[in-house]
Amino acid sequence: MSTMKLVLQNFKHSIRNYFSLILSLAFTILVFFNFLNLIFTDTFLILGQQNKDYIDQIIGVISFVLVCFMFCFIWYATNVFLTKRKKEIGIYVFMGLNNQKIAKMYMLETVLVGVMAFAFGIFFGVITAQLFQMILLAVSDISVDISFRFSGKSILLVALIYFAIYFLFVLKGYINIVRSSVLDMISAGRQNEYLRTKSWMLVLKTVLGITILIQGYYLAVKEGGMEVMRNIMMATVLVVIGIYLLFGGFLPYLFQKLAENKLFLYQKERNLWMNNVIFRMKKNYRTYAMVCVLMLCAVTALATSFAMKNRYERIIHFRNTYTYQILSEKSDMQERLEELIEKDNTITYETKTPVLMLDASLFDTLFSYTNYAVIPYSSIKELAKDAGLEFSYEEPKEDEIMKISHVYLLSIITDRSSVDVIINDKVYHQVVDTNTPYLGYLQEAMSFYVVNDAEYESLLPLGQQLYAYNFSIADKYNFEASIDELDMVSDAYVGRVKIDPASSDIEWIKVMYSICVFMFLVFIIASACILFMKLYNDAFEERERYLVLQKLGFDAEILGRAAGKEIRVAYICPFLVMAVSSYYSVHALEKMMFTNLKAINVISVGIIFVFFLVFYEISVITYRRNAGISG
Amino acid sequence: MSEKKIVEVKNLVKDYGVRGFQTRVLKGIDLTVFNNDFIAIMGPSGSGKTTLLNIISSIDKPTQGTITMDGMDLLKISNKELSQLRRDKIGFVFQDYNLLDTLTLQDNIALPLSLNGISGKKCKEKTEELSELFGLKEHLMKYPYQLSGGQKQRGAACRALITEPEIIFADEPTGALDSKAGKDLLECLTMVNEKKKTAILMVTHDAYCASYAKDVYLLNDGLMKCRLSKGNSRKEFYDSIIDMQASMGGEFL
Repeated sequence: MSTMKLVLQNFKHSIRNYFSLILSLAFTILVFFNFLNLIFTDTFLILGQQNKDYIDQIIGVISFVLVCFMFCFIWYATNVFLTKRKKEIGIYVFMGLNNQKIAKMYMLETVLVGVMAFAFGIFFGVITAQLFQMILLAVSDISVDISFRFSGKSILLVALIYFAIYFLFVLKGYINIVRSSVLDMISAGRQNEYLRTKSWMLVLKTVLGITILIQGYYLAVKEGGMEVMRNIMMATVLVVIGIYLLFGGFLPYLFQKLAENKLFLYQKERNLWMNNVIFRMKKNYRTYAMVCVLMLCAVTALATSFAMKNRYERIIHFRNTYTYQILSEKSDMQERLEELIEKDNTITYETKTPVLMLDASLFDTLFSYTNYAVIPYSSIKELAKDAGLEFSYEEPKEDEIMKISHVYLLSIITDRSSVDVIINDKVYHQVVDTNTPYLGYLQEAMSFYVVNDAEYESLLPLGQQLYAYNFSIADKYNFEASIDELDMVSDAYVGRVKIDPASSDIEWIKVMYSICVFMFLVFIIASACILFMKLYNDAFEERERYLVLQKLGFDAEILGRAAGKEIRVAYICPFLVMAVSSYYSVHALEKMMFTNLKAINVISVGIIFVFFLVFYEISVITYRRNAGISG
Repeated sequence: MSEKKIVEVKNLVKDYGVRGFQTRVLKGIDLTVFNNDFIAIMGPSGSGKTTLLNIISSIDKPTQGTITMDGMDLLKISNKELSQLRRDKIGFVFQDYNLLDTLTLQDNIALPLSLNGISGKKCKEKTEELSELFGLKEHLMKYPYQLSGGQKQRGAACRALITEPEIIFADEPTGALDSKAGKDLLECLTMVNEKKKTAILMVTHDAYCASYAKDVYLLNDGLMKCRLSKGNSRKEFYDSIIDMQASMGGEFL
């Protein structure tokens, strides 16, 4: 029982030191719980099963990312415990405790911290669950009444995953202590004896890091076909490795070289903070790299979010080009259909075009579709005029072809030039790929190609010619009113499409949009938290140094300034690397999602900057307090 | 006399503890330090040596009495003036060196000057000059953990001297050193005292260490009991310190 008492006493004593760790762990749990809760509470069932399935899949992927994040986090947290505790626990060796008992103490104390973080995380998670769902739905522009609910299953799952990871690392620490010698334990806390890393090693890391980073950037923005996906994956891995090497090599090298120039170094507080930065860089570069990568994720998440919103709006707009689309074998249906629709609705515009339905076996294209159709150039030009859509394409030559596709949410093919289409063994060179909704929703159901009129004539014997009649009405929400009339002539057409403007089958994209915004915030807060936590703990190690300096008569103001500059470097370095890298990641996304995201890139970097500024100010205050720099 | 008065302490009293349970550690000390002085304060454990040093060097505050340094009353000046005074007029040498382990020896020595905004060139020159004097030139690029105790303490002395203070306060400077390293340091301090006319006020329990000073004060039970001045030889001085210690009794730690 005395061991437990000692553990409790230790815990109580050092709770302030571990406050930041507990807070950060609790935050991770809170976020993780909130996401899992979305899956288990059926909030999104209101959007239909298909939407919910999509959303669940996305949340599943995000949860996986969060688990990885939690893994790294717990790893880091337990490591901090281990070194800190090892030194203090080492003293107990002299009191006659054996390694097993000391390891048990460490384990109990760490578990206490873990349990406390979990309790906080779940408690605030449950409290914020409804708020989170409300915000998510509000940002997604989905109006649903939600009641306060959370699922026990999600708590259980969070607990299971969290404690599994936690115990794994606690066990690792336990084994570490049991196996270590007394000398290790006593010197564990004093391992900050600084050794300057050899210059050639740093230069090697720098060269390697920059080369890998440039290669990563290049792959990210390189245009291509199917290999783009692989390139993006490679680019991600390369950029992460590059950033890691940059922080492990280039930055320490730069600061070391600068510090060697004494005329530069001996400028007011620079002597103090720059040496501290060099000292810290060796210990903290992994943290800086991690923060940088997290921020990069944040910018990419926000850019994805905006791209999603943009695409969603375009898809909706695209689909609503026409309210009714009728395919018929007859070429003289227009007036009849017009009459029927006009009974209950007002037509704003209407178009008609012949379409030649061809069997898929005649085609050899980059992607395989089930339905293929060919349209003559003159018809599509006429149709564009009638619908008021822009059309500025030259008539294709005899071996040229135009593709009319639909709006994709995302495409991995970024290079769309030099694509060949083979129809009935004749090779056509694709000169245009447009997603203007000339044929509205039909473009999503079919793959349309445009050839010149003479080519069209020659292809006619290969398939069946139909006519597409397209109507747009003034009150799109009144679309059901004309269905009865249209169905009166149902034997005259082979297919009819009606577009419901309130259709919710792609509502999941909107949810995705808000989840991405949320992930953006999570990533920023997480990265700022990590830096803050690191500095919070570092300050305790610096305490002794600052006390000495104060004893020597240095002004708290000067020391505070030096500390401020040191903290500034910790925030600025990852920020700068992120700002440069984000250009490439957002650029890659731009290409896949056909959206201009430059403004979003600048805005998100700006938001991160503001966040960091706030965290920097808080860090300076807490650092000064923890390091004992009193004014 | 052409000697300049650097520190003047009058009727210094210091109490520790809460009201009703106070212990008077210093019971009215008077002390004057002139430039070129090298004073050692000796006394048994608990006699108030370190307390006296801390108060004179402005780290601690007295309960009663006045301390005048460079014509200014330490108890009446503002914090800013006090900082400035500490920065410009005082140098410290501690028993445990207190060098910053993140800085090379040269950076450690240069720190007080560079923090005061002196140009990099001047800082560099001064560090080189002082390290030469203290035999540390080849160790300038090393970090504290790569140095021996003696080298560290001489480094700390260089750091204390780089601002060219009027007085150096040394609290048991040889406490953590072996006899050879202690002797080296004391010789360096003597040299500085003679060449640069820097006053030194040193607290020690070691008679050998005290024998390097010009005057030795014996503190006992919160009062200055006696003062010894160096004659012709250090050996004689050492003997007389030992005799005085024996006559006073008590444990000198």
